[in-house]
Amino acid sequence: MPINRRAFLTQTLKMGGAFVAAPFYKTMYPKATKGETVLTILHTNDVHSRLEPFPMDGSKYAGLGGVAARATLIESIRKEADHVLLLDSGDIFQGTPYFNIYKGEPEIKAMSMMGYDACTMGNHDFDGGMENYVTQMKHATFPTLICNYDFKNTPLDNKTAPFKIFKKGEATIGVFGVGIELKGLVPETLYGNTVYRDPVECANTTASFLKRHGCDFIICLSHLGDKYEDNKVSDEVLAKETYFIDLILGGHTHKFFTEPIKYKNKGGGDTLVNQVGWAGIQLGRLDFSFGVSNKKNFLKAHTMLIRKKNRD
Amino acid sequence: MWMLSFNKVVKRCCLFVLLMGNLVALSAQTVMVVPQTYPIGLNVPKDSGLSTMLSTYKDSVTKVMGKVIGFSTYGMYKKQPESGLGNLMADATKTIAEQVYGQKVDAAFLNYGGIRSYLPKGDITVGNVFELMPFDNLLVIQKVRGDSLQQLLNHMANRKGWPISGITFVIDSNMAKKVVIGTKQLYADSIYSIANSDYTANGGDNVTMLKPFKPINNGYLLRDAIMNYIKMWTELGHPIDAKPEKRIIYANQ
Repeated sequence: MPINRRAFLTQTLKMGGAFVAAPFYKTMYPKATKGETVLTILHTNDVHSRLEPFPMDGSKYAGLGGVAARATLIESIRKEADHVLLLDSGDIFQGTPYFNIYKGEPEIKAMSMMGYDACTMGNHDFDGGMENYVTQMKHATFPTLICNYDFKNTPLDNKTAPFKIFKKGEATIGVFGVGIELKGLVPETLYGNTVYRDPVECANTTASFLKRHGCDFIICLSHLGDKYEDNKVSDEVLAKETYFIDLILGGHTHKFFTEPIKYKNKGGGDTLVNQVGWAGIQLGRLDFSFGVSNKKNFLKAHTMLIRKKNRD
Repeated sequence: MWMLSFNKVVKRCCLFVLLMGNLVALSAQTVMVVPQTYPIGLNVPKDSGLSTMLSTYKDSVTKVMGKVIGFSTYGMYKKQPESGLGNLMADATKTIAEQVYGQKVDAAFLNYGGIRSYLPKGDITVGNVFELMPFDNLLVIQKVRGDSLQQLLNHMANRKGWPISGITFVIDSNMAKKVVIGTKQLYADSIYSIANSDYTANGGDNVTMLKPFKPINNGYLLRDAIMNYIKMWTELGHPIDAKPEKRIIYANQ
């Protein structure tokens, strides 16, 4: 365990009732029945180098965020949940002096210590240059997933993967990533020879590959943005124009969703989109319970039923 | 018209058949989801492992960034079409560009997305300015033709207003109208000296209309311009109190 459990417990006890009474201890989550898996997704996006909480300066988010508190929260959820995937939707870098001085090293170290399973690349993850991204990811215990950037002839060639398949209990989970168009957004000197490909096309290809390879549940880490007034590609477009994605964890637009938005996807099933603001002010959690694929329900469309959590 | 819709129908039928062939069972499988969002607040204790890791970096960050360089009279946040914070940053860009390049600058602008943070009420630290402008963007000047400048202002109007100094305009149907630069109207064939960041000068945030004009650039950081502008007011015994002043307004207001 990368996180100091004893220190956590002592600190929790020291805090007395305040923390123990926190809502997640009072929450009843679905328990897996036979042939079913409960998958707990924890996610962040656009943390923007916010390693420490916002300072207590009377500003809007004073005291919120910080990796040390996030780690405690994640660790406590890991104790009660059977199968956890911890994911980030990009823009890990840029926004506090930590990045100006250390170029992302403490950010990546912190995420590794928290046990992140995967991330995708946001536009600001190019800010230190591609060589720097490669350097910092040497501290990572998790992969960068992106399926629509072609990094051939760049320092990132072979340093990322389009997807990763996770085994969680009986279930097989496919996770992949899509990134935003870099031209006009990121200085050309920073993205160099990176070729941006159509996210919808790439997502469809990747998701159907994952489906055909037996994934029961497919997650897309996206840095496209939730939606736009014009027809620019977004999570909304992606959800409606693809077949097999169950969940899109978004970013870029820094939106605080009150709950995930449900879209009808092209296969007639449901695709959920969620986003949790920015700066690590919040940690998103989604508990999915679903049956594991067999020959009978293979390729069957998923209908999502959003349930409010029960309180005891 | 009829052919188009016929094609569409055929396409859809083909797709339907294709899907029917693929899907063994047509009744959908229900997935239950329970969403929850945790605020990461002060009531959550800090993990000691993470705190220890961070402490090795924190000391040097605090040392450099904790220095107080000014004082603000109110908490300054970004807002469209205009804000005191945006005006402060655009004025800093214009004033410091004139100092650094030793020439008159007609106007300055920044892209709205480039304002990354806020200034708190009270002490302003070096770290606050780093968070406001974390990018190592450079302060540049471009000599821009009036018609291209009008295109830029239209782009800014279409994006609901960006920080600007030396120009006022009205947003009317997503266009910049009643443009005043200095005290005069904008002439399409005049040349104007515009200060901005190398990011927008090179077409960043879709400022494509400025790309043809070669930026004058001596490597001075835009962040330093803001930092030194705040220091300048502080040395004069002035707090930072820039306010919105109707540089950009909507026509229907």
